[in-house]
Amino acid sequence: MVLKLYGHTVSSATKRVACIANELKVPYELVTIDLFSGEHKWAAALEKQPFGELPWIDDGGFVLYESRAICRYLVAKYGPSSSLVPKDLTGNAKFEQAASIEICNFEPYAHVIAIEKLIKPASGAQPDETMVKENLDVLSSKLDAYEVILSKQTYLAGDASCIPHLTLADLFHLPKGAMVTAAGINVLEDSNDRPNVARWWKALTSRSSWRAVKDGA
Amino acid sequence: MVLQLVGNPYSTCTRRVAVVCKELNIPYELTVIDLSKGEQKSPEFLAKQPFGQIPYIDDDGFVLFESRAIARYLATKAGSALIPKDLKAQAKFEQAASIELSNFDAFASAIAAEKVFKLLRGGKTDDARVQEYAAALDGKLDAYDKILSTQKYLAGDELTLADLFHLSYGAMLAPCGFSFLEDGKRPNVARWWKDISSRPSWQAVKDKA
Repeated sequence: MVLKLYGHTVSSATKRVACIANELKVPYELVTIDLFSGEHKWAAALEKQPFGELPWIDDGGFVLYESRAICRYLVAKYGPSSSLVPKDLTGNAKFEQAASIEICNFEPYAHVIAIEKLIKPASGAQPDETMVKENLDVLSSKLDAYEVILSKQTYLAGDASCIPHLTLADLFHLPKGAMVTAAGINVLEDSNDRPNVARWWKALTSRSSWRAVKDGA
Repeated sequence: MVLQLVGNPYSTCTRRVAVVCKELNIPYELTVIDLSKGEQKSPEFLAKQPFGQIPYIDDDGFVLFESRAIARYLATKAGSALIPKDLKAQAKFEQAASIELSNFDAFASAIAAEKVFKLLRGGKTDDARVQEYAAALDGKLDAYDKILSTQKYLAGDELTLADLFHLSYGAMLAPCGFSFLEDGKRPNVARWWKDISSRPSWQAVKDKA
């Protein structure tokens, strides 16, 4: 039975799962939950995802939500020998460090920028430019640290003594990072300011797994 | 060589690591970083932790930062059931760990930042933002109560790191004026919070790592 991905083609978290499914060549069926009519908050959806958010999966009866948890599950089940999640103790620790960096030092600030500059205007609301500036200032300082890390290694996980390689931690940045770019903010692409961040971002955004879903999961 | 924990005894993230050390009976030596002197921004510190944040560990030469990554490393090294090994149980743990970050920490740490940490840096609390964060967290805890009505802990019936990760910011909510976790309005959340916050591991470090 094919994996069912309950989400929406425009949802960044749905795209996060779709990208990883593509990386692992796991076929999936996108079951659309109508975000715009609030279907994700209806009783039937809340039964599966009590926070009323997208996406969730149904893998032969096993229901799971939180996009990053879903991605980790897909690697564990369908890509057990995949290097997207390192298995050795210290390699795995460095991966978890990078995964934590993404969700604590990137996501919160990219999220606010995306909401203010893209989501709010799409529904006719005015962006709060003070919030945008505040969050962009913090994101910029965080990316200075990314620049230091990525000047020594090609991807976020791995360190000088082991061969760094692409992991889920890098790929997790794609959906919200792409929204920052779509908002007209080029912090991830500016190779004058942060050449290593720009190099890393170009490598991630060129992957066919992402290109297949960037405009719609 | 005993585990070196570089941080501050009162820091939430340092205590997040400390509670897991206590839970796993891992002795550690705390090297104190004086945040008021900006020691976390010194070149020596930034060489270990480029974001200039505490804590990090040095485990016999292996340096690691991000408190949750450190906790995961220690639990994995110890072969602890605080991270389940079975495929589906582990997936439910990862779901719970993600819930903690996105649906709890995002708001609880923001409340603590506005009500406590900002003031320490000479800033002023933005009361409107605090109310926004509190309202959001209040809504999220309805979902927590639903989850915890059919299972003992966030990932299932066994305690995992995901539950323990809530402790350091969760414990700041009441002092900031929000009794969401204790007031019994959500009986399952109250039961769960009482359970995890009365563990000896948390009692040992709740005031000081």
